[in-house]
Amino acid sequence: MGIFQVNGKNQEIETPVSLVEVMKINNVTQPEMVSIQVNGEFVSRDDFGTVQINQGDEVDFLYFMGGGSRC
Amino acid sequence: MLKPKGFTSRVIHTPFAKDDVNRALHQPIYSNAAFDFESAENMELAFQGRLPVHAYSRITNPTVENFELRIKQMTDALNVTALSSGMAAISNVIFLLASSGTNIVVSNHLFGNTYVFFNSTIRDFGIEARFCDLTDSEAVRKNIDGKTVAVFAESITNPQLEVVDLALLAGIAHEKSVPFIVDSTLTPPNVFRAKDFGVDIDVISSTKCISGGATSVGGLIVDYGNFDWSKSAKLAPLAKRFGPFAFNYKLRREIFRNLGACLSPFAAYLQSLGLETLQLRFEKAVENCRELAPFLKTLPQVKSVHYPGLKDSKYYEISKKQFGNYPGAMLTFDFTSKEECFAFVNKLELIKRATNVYDNKTLVIHPASTIYCDFSPADRESMHVYDTTLRLSLGIEYAEDLKDDILQALEGLGHGA
Repeated sequence: MGIFQVNGKNQEIETPVSLVEVMKINNVTQPEMVSIQVNGEFVSRDDFGTVQINQGDEVDFLYFMGGGSRC
Repeated sequence: MLKPKGFTSRVIHTPFAKDDVNRALHQPIYSNAAFDFESAENMELAFQGRLPVHAYSRITNPTVENFELRIKQMTDALNVTALSSGMAAISNVIFLLASSGTNIVVSNHLFGNTYVFFNSTIRDFGIEARFCDLTDSEAVRKNIDGKTVAVFAESITNPQLEVVDLALLAGIAHEKSVPFIVDSTLTPPNVFRAKDFGVDIDVISSTKCISGGATSVGGLIVDYGNFDWSKSAKLAPLAKRFGPFAFNYKLRREIFRNLGACLSPFAAYLQSLGLETLQLRFEKAVENCRELAPFLKTLPQVKSVHYPGLKDSKYYEISKKQFGNYPGAMLTFDFTSKEECFAFVNKLELIKRATNVYDNKTLVIHPASTIYCDFSPADRESMHVYDTTLRLSLGIEYAEDLKDDILQALEGLGHGA
């Protein structure tokens, strides 16, 4: 098992795990509405399928719901 | 689920962000300021942008969000932000991109308040507006330097009715790694696909035809997500973290929330309703303009008529290329003097004397003595705003009624009126 962070909270899953799987686990159902960073770097939508999350990584989902960001 | 293709179908059938508990067919008006949270933890996540819920209506609001979603649906934008006015949209974008020591390349053919914003308001913050002829591509190239943060244009200038080659300008701006901002208020999204012409940021006064015909004041910032913000000195650090969302992050997280020019939920509701009939109304207004322009040309008292939809307009071809059969619903025409203009305006009965465009009612104004009254005659001359010119914004009335009103107002004019 590996531990990594999602939005500042620890998650424990077998690593490496695909970003798409992490999105599923975290109920990110509308990927066009979210900006994703892994270890502080933006992940392009085109790379969602290929990026792997490893032990110790930090994943951030920032929501851009509706017309813009709620942040 | 069937995805509608038609403009109006797409607007009307834009899904709500969340299902309404009462299955209302219109997004209800949420006029409240604040929203409750299930826990302190959720509140923290929401403030960090990590939880998709509303917190405070100056920042986001369900009714305003629904309006933004509809605009997003019809423009295929990456992000849309609704604001309290068109000028709020322009000022938010400029304050976001510019800082002291930078410059913006822009024409002096602009709506009066926009001109003053560029020529005076931002100058006080150390930002330079470089006025140049946007129909002269070499002049545009020469004015862009390492400190240029944007090229700004109006899709049809008001009141000069100049139409610049937007794709050409976008190409020049991008060649120099500068974003291209367009105010497309006079050519709404149902007739002008700004994204297809290389526009990066679209600013719109939704007060006009979008609102339903001037029902309320509002503005829009439409971010098409095309520009590489890593090329912007100010946004490069955010581009590393947020990629194409960098502009929107800066806008929503800082500029928009701190300047506080949010759209009221009541106005958002009206404007959202207005969107549903935008295509129908605008088609009629343009049809009226197409009919009134050649009609005015036949009148001996009228010295000249300006409308990009007239075949003898020098902007006819570029207008056709960019706006198809919808070259706007506004025209200008000239008498021989300011006195004649005033005499004509005073005799109108149906056409309203008002400072707005794209109302459902036809509106007339003498721009030189109103919108441009604070400018010197020499400045007005350089901006091609003349004492002899009237601006007519066509509404959706029966065209023959408008002609009758014009004819009765012309009686006696040019014969010592």
